[in-house]
Amino acid sequence: MARETPLLPVEDAREAALFFVVAALCFLAALAALSAKSTYGAARAWTAEVEGELTVTLQDVDRRAAEDARKLIEKTEGVRAAHLLSKEEIDELLEPNFGSRGLPDSLPLPQLIAVTADPGIADIGPALQRKLTEAGYDCAVDEHADWAGDVRRVLGITRLIALTAVALLASTAIAVIAFATHAALLARKDIVDVLHLAGARDRFIASLFERRFWILGLRAGAVGALLALGAAAAAIFAAKAHGGHAGLLPELSLDYTDLMVLVLTPVVAGLAARVAARVTVIRALKSMM
Amino acid sequence: MEPMTLSRLDLFDDIAVRLDNVSLRYDTSDDILSGIDLTLKQGSFSFLTGASGAGKSSLLKLLYLALKPTRGEVSLFGRPTGRLARDQLSALRRRVGVVFQEFRLLEHLTAYENVALPLRVVGRKEADYRADVEELLAWVGLGKRLNARPPTLSGGEQQRVAIARAVVTQPDILIADEPTGNVDPEMGSRLMRLFLELNKRRGTTVIIATHDLGLVRQVEAPVYRLNNGLLVRDVEFGGNAAAGRRRTDPAKAAE
Repeated sequence: MARETPLLPVEDAREAALFFVVAALCFLAALAALSAKSTYGAARAWTAEVEGELTVTLQDVDRRAAEDARKLIEKTEGVRAAHLLSKEEIDELLEPNFGSRGLPDSLPLPQLIAVTADPGIADIGPALQRKLTEAGYDCAVDEHADWAGDVRRVLGITRLIALTAVALLASTAIAVIAFATHAALLARKDIVDVLHLAGARDRFIASLFERRFWILGLRAGAVGALLALGAAAAAIFAAKAHGGHAGLLPELSLDYTDLMVLVLTPVVAGLAARVAARVTVIRALKSMM
Repeated sequence: MEPMTLSRLDLFDDIAVRLDNVSLRYDTSDDILSGIDLTLKQGSFSFLTGASGAGKSSLLKLLYLALKPTRGEVSLFGRPTGRLARDQLSALRRRVGVVFQEFRLLEHLTAYENVALPLRVVGRKEADYRADVEELLAWVGLGKRLNARPPTLSGGEQQRVAIARAVVTQPDILIADEPTGNVDPEMGSRLMRLFLELNKRRGTTVIIATHDLGLVRQVEAPVYRLNNGLLVRDVEFGGNAAAGRRRTDPAKAAE
Protein backbone atom coordinates (compact mmCIF):
# COMPACT_ATOMS: atom_id res chain seq x y z
CA MET A 1 0.00 0.00 0.00
CA ALA A 2 1.36 3.41 -0.99
CA ARG A 3 2.50 5.72 1.77
CA GLU A 4 0.00 8.47 2.59
CA THR A 5 0.94 11.95 1.43
CA PRO A 6 1.42 14.28 4.41
CA LEU A 7 -1.56 16.59 4.88
CA LEU A 8 0.83 19.53 4.99
CA PRO A 9 2.80 19.95 1.76
CA VAL A 10 6.53 19.22 1.84
CA GLU A 11 8.81 22.05 2.82
CA ASP A 12 9.12 25.10 0.64
CA ALA A 13 11.57 28.01 0.38
CA ARG A 14 10.18 29.63 3.52
CA GLU A 15 11.04 26.58 5.58
CA ALA A 16 14.53 26.43 4.07
CA ALA A 17 15.10 30.02 5.23
CA LEU A 18 13.73 29.17 8.67
CA PHE A 19 15.99 26.12 8.80
CA PHE A 20 19.01 28.36 8.15
CA VAL A 21 17.99 30.89 10.83
CA VAL A 22 17.29 28.22 13.47
CA ALA A 23 20.56 26.42 12.66
CA ALA A 24 22.49 29.70 13.03
CA LEU A 25 20.76 30.51 16.32
CA CYS A 26 21.44 27.01 17.63
CA PHE A 27 25.10 27.35 16.62
CA LEU A 28 25.39 30.62 18.56
CA ALA A 29 23.42 29.27 21.54
CA ALA A 30 25.56 26.12 21.71
CA LEU A 31 28.75 28.20 21.53
CA ALA A 32 27.44 30.53 24.25
CA ALA A 33 26.54 27.52 26.41
CA LEU A 34 30.00 26.03 25.89
CA SER A 35 31.56 29.39 26.77
CA ALA A 36 29.43 29.67 29.90
CA LYS A 37 30.43 26.18 30.96
CA SER A 38 34.10 26.83 30.16
CA THR A 39 34.02 30.08 32.16
CA TYR A 40 32.41 28.26 35.03
CA GLY A 41 35.17 25.62 34.93
CA ALA A 42 37.87 28.29 34.75
CA ALA A 43 36.33 30.13 37.68
CA ARG A 44 36.41 27.00 39.77
CA ALA A 45 40.01 26.24 38.81
CA TRP A 46 41.24 29.78 39.48
CA THR A 47 39.49 30.19 42.80
CA ALA A 48 40.61 26.70 43.86
CA GLU A 49 44.18 27.77 43.10
CA VAL A 50 43.84 30.92 45.14
CA GLU A 51 41.88 29.46 48.01
CA GLY A 52 44.08 27.76 50.58
CA GLU A 53 47.20 29.66 49.47
CA LEU A 54 48.55 32.08 52.10
CA THR A 55 51.73 34.10 52.44
CA VAL A 56 53.15 34.86 55.89
CA THR A 57 55.54 37.82 56.06
CA LEU A 58 57.86 37.94 59.10
CA GLN A 59 59.59 41.23 59.94
CA ASP A 60 62.88 41.56 61.76
CA VAL A 61 63.68 37.89 62.12
CA ASP A 62 66.67 35.88 61.01
CA ARG A 63 66.49 32.70 59.03
CA ARG A 64 66.57 30.42 62.07
CA ALA A 65 63.68 32.17 63.78
CA ALA A 66 61.81 32.06 60.50
CA GLU A 67 62.39 28.31 60.30
CA ASP A 68 60.93 27.96 63.82
CA ALA A 69 57.92 29.95 62.71
CA ARG A 70 57.53 27.67 59.65
CA LYS A 71 57.50 24.61 61.93
CA LEU A 72 54.94 26.28 64.18
CA ILE A 73 52.78 27.00 61.14
CA GLU A 74 53.13 23.46 59.82
CA LYS A 75 51.84 22.06 63.10
CA THR A 76 48.71 24.16 62.89
CA GLU A 77 45.51 22.22 62.13
CA GLY A 78 44.39 22.61 58.54
CA VAL A 79 47.83 23.43 57.17
CA ARG A 80 49.11 21.01 54.57
CA ALA A 81 52.53 22.49 53.96
CA ALA A 82 54.64 25.53 54.78
CA HIS A 83 57.67 26.53 52.78
CA LEU A 84 60.21 29.16 53.81
CA LEU A 85 61.29 31.02 50.70
CA SER A 86 65.04 31.21 50.07
CA LYS A 87 66.85 34.43 49.16
CA GLU A 88 66.98 33.25 45.51
CA GLU A 89 63.24 32.62 45.45
CA ILE A 90 62.54 36.06 46.86
CA ASP A 91 64.90 37.62 44.30
CA GLU A 92 63.01 35.79 41.58
CA LEU A 93 59.72 37.16 42.86
CA LEU A 94 61.08 40.67 42.92
CA GLU A 95 62.87 40.41 39.59
CA PRO A 96 60.11 42.13 37.59
CA ASN A 97 60.51 45.19 39.85
CA PHE A 98 64.22 45.24 40.71
CA GLY A 99 65.93 43.51 37.79
CA SER A 100 67.86 40.26 37.51
CA ARG A 101 70.91 41.20 39.56
CA GLY A 102 69.07 40.66 42.78
CA LEU A 103 68.87 42.81 45.88
CA PRO A 104 71.88 43.82 47.91
CA ASP A 105 72.44 41.69 51.02
CA SER A 106 72.44 44.84 53.14
CA LEU A 107 68.83 45.56 52.28
CA PRO A 108 66.62 44.20 55.08
CA LEU A 109 64.06 41.87 53.59
CA PRO A 110 61.22 40.16 55.40
CA GLN A 111 61.17 36.39 55.56
CA LEU A 112 58.35 34.87 53.49
CA ILE A 113 56.61 31.59 54.19
CA ALA A 114 54.28 30.12 51.51
CA VAL A 115 51.51 28.20 53.23
CA THR A 116 49.17 25.68 51.62
CA ALA A 117 46.06 25.02 53.69
CA ASP A 118 43.23 22.56 53.22
CA PRO A 119 40.56 24.17 51.05
CA GLY A 120 37.38 25.01 52.88
CA ILE A 121 39.01 25.55 56.31
CA ALA A 122 37.45 28.69 57.67
CA ASP A 123 39.50 31.48 59.25
CA ILE A 124 42.87 29.82 58.77
CA GLY A 125 44.45 33.23 58.17
CA PRO A 126 43.35 34.83 61.46
CA ALA A 127 44.23 31.59 63.30
CA LEU A 128 47.82 31.70 62.00
CA GLN A 129 48.07 35.42 62.70
CA ARG A 130 46.96 34.87 66.29
CA LYS A 131 49.27 31.90 66.85
CA LEU A 132 52.36 33.67 65.49
CA THR A 133 51.66 36.87 67.40
CA GLU A 134 51.27 34.91 70.61
CA ALA A 135 54.64 33.31 69.83
CA GLY A 136 56.16 36.81 69.65
CA TYR A 137 56.48 37.22 65.88
CA ASP A 138 55.87 40.52 64.09
CA CYS A 139 54.00 39.10 61.14
CA ALA A 140 51.36 39.63 58.48
CA VAL A 141 49.22 36.88 56.98
CA ASP A 142 47.95 37.50 53.44
CA GLU A 143 45.12 35.28 52.23
CA HIS A 144 45.03 36.89 48.75
CA ALA A 145 41.40 37.55 49.57
CA ASP A 146 41.16 40.79 47.61
CA TRP A 147 42.55 39.25 44.46
CA ALA A 148 40.43 36.11 44.82
CA GLY A 149 37.36 38.27 45.41
CA ASP A 150 38.07 40.29 42.25
CA VAL A 151 38.54 37.10 40.26
CA ARG A 152 35.29 35.68 41.58
CA ARG A 153 33.38 38.87 40.80
CA VAL A 154 34.73 39.09 37.24
CA LEU A 155 34.05 35.42 36.62
CA GLY A 156 30.55 35.77 38.04
CA ILE A 157 29.81 38.65 35.66
CA THR A 158 31.30 36.74 32.74
CA ARG A 159 29.22 33.71 33.58
CA LEU A 160 26.10 35.82 33.89
CA ILE A 161 26.77 37.40 30.48
CA ALA A 162 27.27 33.97 28.90
CA LEU A 163 24.09 32.59 30.47
CA THR A 164 22.15 35.70 29.41
CA ALA A 165 23.45 35.18 25.88
CA VAL A 166 22.26 31.56 25.96
CA ALA A 167 18.85 32.62 27.29
CA LEU A 168 18.53 35.43 24.74
CA LEU A 169 19.55 33.22 21.83
CA ALA A 170 17.19 30.46 22.95
CA SER A 171 14.27 32.86 23.34
CA THR A 172 15.09 34.49 20.00
CA ALA A 173 15.03 31.05 18.38
CA ILE A 174 11.64 30.34 19.97
CA ALA A 175 10.27 33.72 18.88
CA VAL A 176 11.53 33.18 15.31
CA ILE A 177 9.96 29.72 15.22
CA ALA A 178 6.67 31.06 16.59
CA PHE A 179 6.68 33.80 13.96
CA ALA A 180 7.52 31.30 11.22
CA THR A 181 4.80 28.92 12.42
CA HIS A 182 2.28 31.71 12.28
CA ALA A 183 3.43 32.59 8.76
CA ALA A 184 3.23 28.92 7.78
CA LEU A 185 -0.25 28.74 9.23
CA LEU A 186 -1.35 31.77 7.21
CA ALA A 187 0.25 30.32 4.09
CA ARG A 188 -1.58 27.03 4.70
CA LYS A 189 -4.85 28.59 5.76
CA ASP A 190 -6.65 26.90 2.88
CA ILE A 191 -5.58 23.50 4.18
CA VAL A 192 -6.35 24.40 7.79
CA ASP A 193 -9.82 25.60 6.76
CA VAL A 194 -10.62 22.41 4.88
CA LEU A 195 -9.40 20.21 7.74
CA HIS A 196 -11.27 22.34 10.25
CA LEU A 197 -14.52 22.13 8.30
CA ALA A 198 -14.05 18.40 7.75
CA GLY A 199 -14.31 18.04 11.53
CA ALA A 200 -10.63 17.86 12.45
CA ARG A 201 -10.08 18.68 16.09
CA ASP A 202 -7.73 21.52 16.99
CA ARG A 203 -5.15 19.14 18.41
CA PHE A 204 -5.19 17.08 15.20
CA ILE A 205 -4.42 20.16 13.09
CA ALA A 206 -1.87 21.40 15.64
CA SER A 207 -0.17 17.99 15.60
CA LEU A 208 0.51 18.34 11.87
CA PHE A 209 2.40 21.58 12.46
CA GLU A 210 4.01 20.26 15.65
CA ARG A 211 5.46 17.26 13.83
CA ARG A 212 6.71 19.44 10.97
CA PHE A 213 8.42 21.96 13.26
CA TRP A 214 9.73 19.34 15.69
CA ILE A 215 11.62 17.71 12.81
CA LEU A 216 12.75 21.09 11.48
CA GLY A 217 14.00 22.15 14.93
CA LEU A 218 15.72 18.82 15.46
CA ARG A 219 17.53 18.95 12.13
CA ALA A 220 18.44 22.62 12.34
CA GLY A 221 19.59 22.14 15.95
CA ALA A 222 21.76 19.19 14.90
CA VAL A 223 23.40 21.26 12.16
CA GLY A 224 23.95 24.15 14.59
CA ALA A 225 25.41 21.80 17.23
CA LEU A 226 27.75 20.19 14.69
CA LEU A 227 28.95 23.62 13.58
CA ALA A 228 29.51 24.58 17.23
CA LEU A 229 31.45 21.35 17.77
CA GLY A 230 33.58 22.20 14.73
CA ALA A 231 34.18 25.73 16.02
CA ALA A 232 35.10 24.47 19.51
CA ALA A 233 37.42 21.83 18.04
CA ALA A 234 39.09 24.49 15.88
CA ALA A 235 39.55 26.75 18.93
CA ILE A 236 41.10 23.88 20.93
CA PHE A 237 43.35 22.95 18.02
CA ALA A 238 44.49 26.58 17.64
CA ALA A 239 45.11 26.92 21.40
CA LYS A 240 47.12 23.69 21.51
CA ALA A 241 49.12 24.74 18.47
CA HIS A 242 50.13 27.93 20.34
CA GLY A 243 51.19 26.32 23.57
CA GLY A 244 47.86 25.16 24.89
CA HIS A 245 47.61 27.31 27.99
CA ALA A 246 48.16 31.01 28.03
CA GLY A 247 48.08 33.09 31.19
CA LEU A 248 44.68 33.30 32.81
CA LEU A 249 42.89 31.55 29.93
CA PRO A 250 41.34 28.27 30.97
CA GLU A 251 42.69 25.13 29.40
CA LEU A 252 40.41 24.38 26.46
CA SER A 253 39.02 20.89 26.12
CA LEU A 254 35.78 19.07 25.35
CA ASP A 255 34.44 16.83 28.08
CA TYR A 256 31.23 14.86 28.56
CA THR A 257 29.34 17.93 29.79
CA ASP A 258 30.26 19.82 26.61
CA LEU A 259 29.18 16.88 24.49
CA MET A 260 25.94 16.73 26.47
CA VAL A 261 25.34 20.43 25.67
CA LEU A 262 25.84 19.67 21.98
CA VAL A 263 23.58 16.61 22.09
CA LEU A 264 20.87 18.54 23.93
CA THR A 265 20.96 21.51 21.54
CA PRO A 266 18.89 19.84 18.77
CA VAL A 267 16.53 18.28 21.31
CA VAL A 268 15.88 21.64 22.96
CA ALA A 269 15.52 23.31 19.53
CA GLY A 270 13.08 20.62 18.43
CA LEU A 271 11.03 20.86 21.62
CA ALA A 272 11.00 24.66 21.47
CA ALA A 273 9.84 24.51 17.85
CA ARG A 274 7.18 21.98 18.74
CA VAL A 275 5.79 23.96 21.66
CA ALA A 276 5.91 27.23 19.70
CA ALA A 277 4.06 25.56 16.82
CA ARG A 278 1.42 24.10 19.11
CA VAL A 279 0.74 27.35 20.96
CA THR A 280 0.64 29.37 17.74
CA VAL A 281 -1.66 26.97 15.90
CA ILE A 282 -4.06 26.46 18.81
CA ARG A 283 -4.27 30.22 19.33
CA ALA A 284 -4.92 30.80 15.62
CA LEU A 285 -7.56 28.07 15.50
CA LYS A 286 -9.36 29.57 18.47
CA SER A 287 -9.94 32.69 16.42
CA MET A 288 -11.96 30.47 14.06
CA MET A 289 -15.36 29.15 15.09
CA MET B 1 -32.14 16.27 -19.73
CA GLU B 2 -34.86 14.10 -18.28
CA PRO B 3 -36.57 15.94 -15.40
CA MET B 4 -36.73 13.97 -12.21
CA THR B 5 -39.68 14.45 -9.98
CA LEU B 6 -39.77 12.72 -6.65
CA SER B 7 -42.37 12.74 -4.00
CA ARG B 8 -40.97 13.95 -0.72
CA LEU B 9 -41.89 11.72 2.14
CA ASP B 10 -41.73 13.16 5.59
CA LEU B 11 -40.23 10.11 7.19
CA PHE B 12 -37.95 12.04 9.51
CA ASP B 13 -39.45 14.12 12.23
CA ASP B 14 -36.25 15.29 13.87
CA ILE B 15 -35.03 18.78 13.20
CA ALA B 16 -31.69 18.87 11.42
CA VAL B 17 -31.24 22.62 11.08
CA ARG B 18 -32.82 25.46 12.97
CA LEU B 19 -32.04 29.15 12.68
CA ASP B 20 -33.68 31.45 15.21
CA ASN B 21 -33.69 35.13 14.35
CA VAL B 22 -30.17 34.87 12.92
CA SER B 23 -28.35 37.95 11.71
CA LEU B 24 -24.83 38.25 10.37
CA ARG B 25 -22.57 41.16 9.64
CA TYR B 26 -18.87 41.38 8.84
CA ASP B 27 -16.96 43.93 10.88
CA THR B 28 -18.65 47.30 10.47
CA SER B 29 -20.74 46.52 7.42
CA ASP B 30 -24.53 46.41 7.39
CA ASP B 31 -26.23 43.11 8.11
CA ILE B 32 -25.59 40.56 5.36
CA LEU B 33 -28.33 38.41 6.81
CA SER B 34 -31.11 39.80 8.93
CA GLY B 35 -33.54 38.06 11.26
CA ILE B 36 -33.46 34.68 9.51
CA ASP B 37 -35.75 31.99 10.88
CA LEU B 38 -35.51 28.60 9.25
CA THR B 39 -36.25 25.05 10.28
CA LEU B 40 -35.28 22.06 8.17
CA LYS B 41 -36.35 18.60 9.15
CA GLN B 42 -33.92 15.74 9.00
CA GLY B 43 -34.30 14.09 5.62
CA SER B 44 -35.56 17.23 3.91
CA PHE B 45 -34.32 18.47 0.54
CA SER B 46 -34.16 22.22 -0.07
CA PHE B 47 -32.83 24.70 -2.54
CA LEU B 48 -31.42 28.10 -1.71
CA THR B 49 -31.37 30.74 -4.42
CA GLY B 50 -30.70 34.43 -4.66
CA ALA B 51 -28.80 36.98 -6.66
CA SER B 52 -25.05 37.25 -6.45
CA GLY B 53 -24.08 38.90 -3.18
CA ALA B 54 -27.46 38.13 -1.61
CA GLY B 55 -25.71 36.23 1.20
CA LYS B 56 -26.17 32.61 0.06
CA SER B 57 -22.57 31.67 0.86
CA SER B 58 -22.75 33.47 4.20
CA LEU B 59 -25.90 31.57 5.12
CA LEU B 60 -24.25 28.30 4.12
CA LYS B 61 -21.19 29.20 6.23
CA LEU B 62 -23.48 29.55 9.23
CA LEU B 63 -24.97 26.16 8.45
CA TYR B 64 -21.65 24.35 8.12
CA LEU B 65 -20.33 26.08 11.26
CA ALA B 66 -17.64 28.20 9.65
CA LEU B 67 -19.12 31.39 11.12
CA LYS B 68 -20.93 32.40 14.25
CA PRO B 69 -24.01 34.55 13.80
CA THR B 70 -23.82 38.13 15.04
CA ARG B 71 -27.24 37.61 16.60
CA GLY B 72 -29.55 34.66 17.02
CA GLU B 73 -28.86 30.97 17.31
CA VAL B 74 -27.94 28.21 14.88
CA SER B 75 -28.88 24.72 16.03
CA LEU B 76 -27.94 21.45 14.37
CA PHE B 77 -29.67 18.22 15.33
CA GLY B 78 -31.41 20.05 18.14
CA ARG B 79 -28.16 21.35 19.68
CA PRO B 80 -27.63 25.11 19.89
CA THR B 81 -24.10 25.57 18.52
CA GLY B 82 -23.33 28.85 20.27
CA ARG B 83 -22.64 27.17 23.58
CA LEU B 84 -20.83 24.05 22.42
CA ALA B 85 -17.19 23.27 23.23
CA ARG B 86 -14.75 23.18 20.31
CA ASP B 87 -14.53 19.39 20.26
CA GLN B 88 -18.32 19.19 20.21
CA LEU B 89 -18.39 21.57 17.25
CA SER B 90 -15.83 19.36 15.48
CA ALA B 91 -18.04 16.35 16.13
CA LEU B 92 -21.01 18.18 14.60
CA ARG B 93 -18.98 19.23 11.55
CA ARG B 94 -18.22 15.57 10.90
CA ARG B 95 -21.93 15.04 10.33
CA VAL B 96 -22.02 17.80 7.72
CA GLY B 97 -20.66 17.32 4.18
CA VAL B 98 -19.89 20.47 2.23
CA VAL B 99 -19.37 21.02 -1.47
CA PHE B 100 -17.68 24.40 -1.73
CA GLN B 101 -18.30 26.59 -4.74
CA GLU B 102 -14.55 27.00 -5.19
CA PHE B 103 -14.03 23.25 -4.48
CA ARG B 104 -11.21 23.80 -1.94
CA LEU B 105 -9.29 20.72 -2.98
CA LEU B 106 -5.79 20.31 -1.55
CA GLU B 107 -3.49 20.63 -4.53
CA HIS B 108 -0.69 18.46 -3.17
CA LEU B 109 -3.03 15.52 -2.64
CA THR B 110 -4.33 13.19 -5.33
CA ALA B 111 -8.02 12.95 -6.20
CA TYR B 112 -8.18 9.77 -4.13
CA GLU B 113 -6.48 11.41 -1.14
CA ASN B 114 -8.73 14.46 -1.37
CA VAL B 115 -11.82 12.29 -1.23
CA ALA B 116 -10.38 10.25 1.64
CA LEU B 117 -9.47 13.38 3.61
CA PRO B 118 -12.53 13.46 5.92
CA LEU B 119 -11.92 9.79 6.73
CA ARG B 120 -8.26 10.43 7.57
CA VAL B 121 -9.30 13.31 9.79
CA VAL B 122 -11.44 11.00 11.91
CA GLY B 123 -8.65 8.44 12.15
CA ARG B 124 -10.05 5.72 9.86
CA LYS B 125 -7.52 3.23 8.53
CA GLU B 126 -6.90 3.30 4.80
CA ALA B 127 -7.42 -0.43 4.45
CA ASP B 128 -10.97 0.05 5.71
CA TYR B 129 -11.99 2.78 3.31
CA ARG B 130 -9.86 2.36 0.19
CA ALA B 131 -12.40 0.29 -1.73
CA ASP B 132 -15.27 2.65 -0.86
CA VAL B 133 -13.33 5.72 -1.97
CA GLU B 134 -12.28 4.08 -5.23
CA GLU B 135 -15.85 3.00 -5.89
CA LEU B 136 -17.18 6.49 -5.20
CA LEU B 137 -14.63 8.06 -7.53
CA ALA B 138 -15.51 5.51 -10.20
CA TRP B 139 -19.16 6.41 -9.71
CA VAL B 140 -18.50 10.08 -10.41
CA GLY B 141 -16.54 9.08 -13.52
CA LEU B 142 -13.04 9.47 -12.12
CA GLY B 143 -12.13 5.83 -11.64
CA LYS B 144 -9.10 6.24 -13.88
CA ARG B 145 -7.96 9.50 -12.35
CA LEU B 146 -7.43 8.40 -8.79
CA ASN B 147 -3.85 9.59 -8.68
CA ALA B 148 -4.37 12.84 -10.57
CA ARG B 149 -3.73 16.01 -8.62
CA PRO B 150 -6.27 18.85 -8.78
CA PRO B 151 -4.20 21.16 -11.01
CA THR B 152 -4.28 18.47 -13.71
CA LEU B 153 -8.05 18.01 -13.45
CA SER B 154 -10.64 20.05 -15.36
CA GLY B 155 -13.10 22.25 -13.49
CA GLY B 156 -15.81 19.64 -13.82
CA GLU B 157 -13.52 16.87 -12.60
CA GLN B 158 -12.47 18.96 -9.61
CA GLN B 159 -16.12 19.58 -8.83
CA ARG B 160 -16.83 15.86 -8.88
CA VAL B 161 -13.89 15.21 -6.55
CA ALA B 162 -15.27 17.89 -4.22
CA ILE B 163 -18.70 16.25 -4.27
CA ALA B 164 -17.23 12.81 -3.64
CA ARG B 165 -15.30 14.24 -0.67
CA ALA B 166 -18.48 15.77 0.73
CA VAL B 167 -20.47 12.55 0.56
CA VAL B 168 -17.79 9.99 1.39
CA THR B 169 -18.68 10.03 5.08
CA GLN B 170 -22.38 9.69 4.29
CA PRO B 171 -23.14 12.86 6.24
CA ASP B 172 -26.42 13.63 7.95
CA ILE B 173 -26.49 17.04 6.30
CA LEU B 174 -25.14 17.78 2.84
CA ILE B 175 -24.60 21.41 1.91
CA ALA B 176 -23.67 22.14 -1.68
CA ASP B 177 -22.82 25.55 -3.10
CA GLU B 178 -23.44 25.53 -6.87
CA PRO B 179 -22.60 21.81 -7.10
CA THR B 180 -23.29 21.44 -10.80
CA GLY B 181 -21.90 24.74 -12.02
CA ASN B 182 -18.94 23.26 -13.85
CA VAL B 183 -20.28 19.97 -15.16
CA ASP B 184 -22.20 19.07 -18.30
CA PRO B 185 -25.98 18.49 -18.03
CA GLU B 186 -25.62 14.72 -18.05
CA MET B 187 -23.13 14.76 -15.16
CA GLY B 188 -25.25 17.40 -13.43
CA SER B 189 -28.23 15.10 -13.62
CA ARG B 190 -26.14 12.22 -12.34
CA LEU B 191 -24.87 14.22 -9.38
CA MET B 192 -28.40 15.28 -8.56
CA ARG B 193 -29.38 11.62 -8.52
CA LEU B 194 -26.55 11.02 -6.05
CA PHE B 195 -27.90 13.77 -3.79
CA LEU B 196 -31.42 12.38 -4.06
CA GLU B 197 -30.19 8.86 -3.34
CA LEU B 198 -28.44 10.06 -0.21
CA ASN B 199 -31.53 12.00 0.76
CA LYS B 200 -33.92 9.14 0.09
CA ARG B 201 -31.96 6.16 1.30
CA ARG B 202 -29.98 7.62 4.19
CA GLY B 203 -32.28 10.42 5.14
CA THR B 204 -29.52 12.95 4.52
CA THR B 205 -30.74 16.53 4.80
CA VAL B 206 -29.71 18.19 1.54
CA ILE B 207 -29.38 21.94 1.04
CA ILE B 208 -28.31 23.10 -2.38
CA ALA B 209 -27.48 26.70 -3.21
CA THR B 210 -27.79 27.30 -6.93
CA HIS B 211 -28.52 29.79 -9.69
CA ASP B 212 -29.54 26.94 -11.97
CA LEU B 213 -33.33 27.06 -12.24
CA GLY B 214 -33.25 23.97 -14.45
CA LEU B 215 -31.72 22.10 -11.56
CA VAL B 216 -34.38 23.44 -9.21
CA ARG B 217 -37.13 22.25 -11.53
CA GLN B 218 -35.82 18.69 -11.45
CA VAL B 219 -36.88 18.14 -7.86
CA GLU B 220 -40.07 18.89 -6.07
CA ALA B 221 -38.62 20.59 -3.05
CA PRO B 222 -38.95 23.88 -1.19
CA VAL B 223 -36.98 26.75 -2.59
CA TYR B 224 -35.75 29.56 -0.35
CA ARG B 225 -34.65 32.82 -1.82
CA LEU B 226 -32.37 35.33 -0.18
CA ASN B 227 -33.29 38.90 -0.92
CA ASN B 228 -31.65 41.90 0.77
CA GLY B 229 -30.56 39.76 3.68
CA LEU B 230 -34.03 38.32 4.21
CA LEU B 231 -34.94 34.72 3.57
CA VAL B 232 -38.22 34.15 1.75
CA ARG B 233 -39.96 31.06 0.46
CA ASP B 234 -40.16 31.17 -3.35
CA VAL B 235 -43.70 30.74 -4.64
CA GLU B 236 -42.68 29.68 -8.13
CA PHE B 237 -41.02 26.51 -6.96
CA GLY B 238 -41.77 23.83 -4.48
CA GLY B 239 -45.52 23.98 -5.05
CA ASN B 240 -46.21 25.90 -1.91
CA ALA B 241 -47.57 29.32 -2.67
CA ALA B 242 -48.95 29.72 0.82
CA ALA B 243 -45.58 30.62 2.26
CA GLY B 244 -45.42 33.62 0.00
CA ARG B 245 -42.72 36.24 -0.24
CA ARG B 246 -42.18 36.93 3.38
CA ARG B 247 -39.88 35.84 6.11
CA THR B 248 -40.01 32.12 6.31
CA ASP B 249 -42.37 30.66 8.82
CA PRO B 250 -40.26 28.00 10.58
CA ALA B 251 -43.17 25.64 10.81
CA LYS B 252 -43.88 25.90 7.12
CA ALA B 253 -40.25 25.94 6.10
CA ALA B 254 -39.85 22.45 7.41
CA GLU B 255 -42.60 21.12 5.19
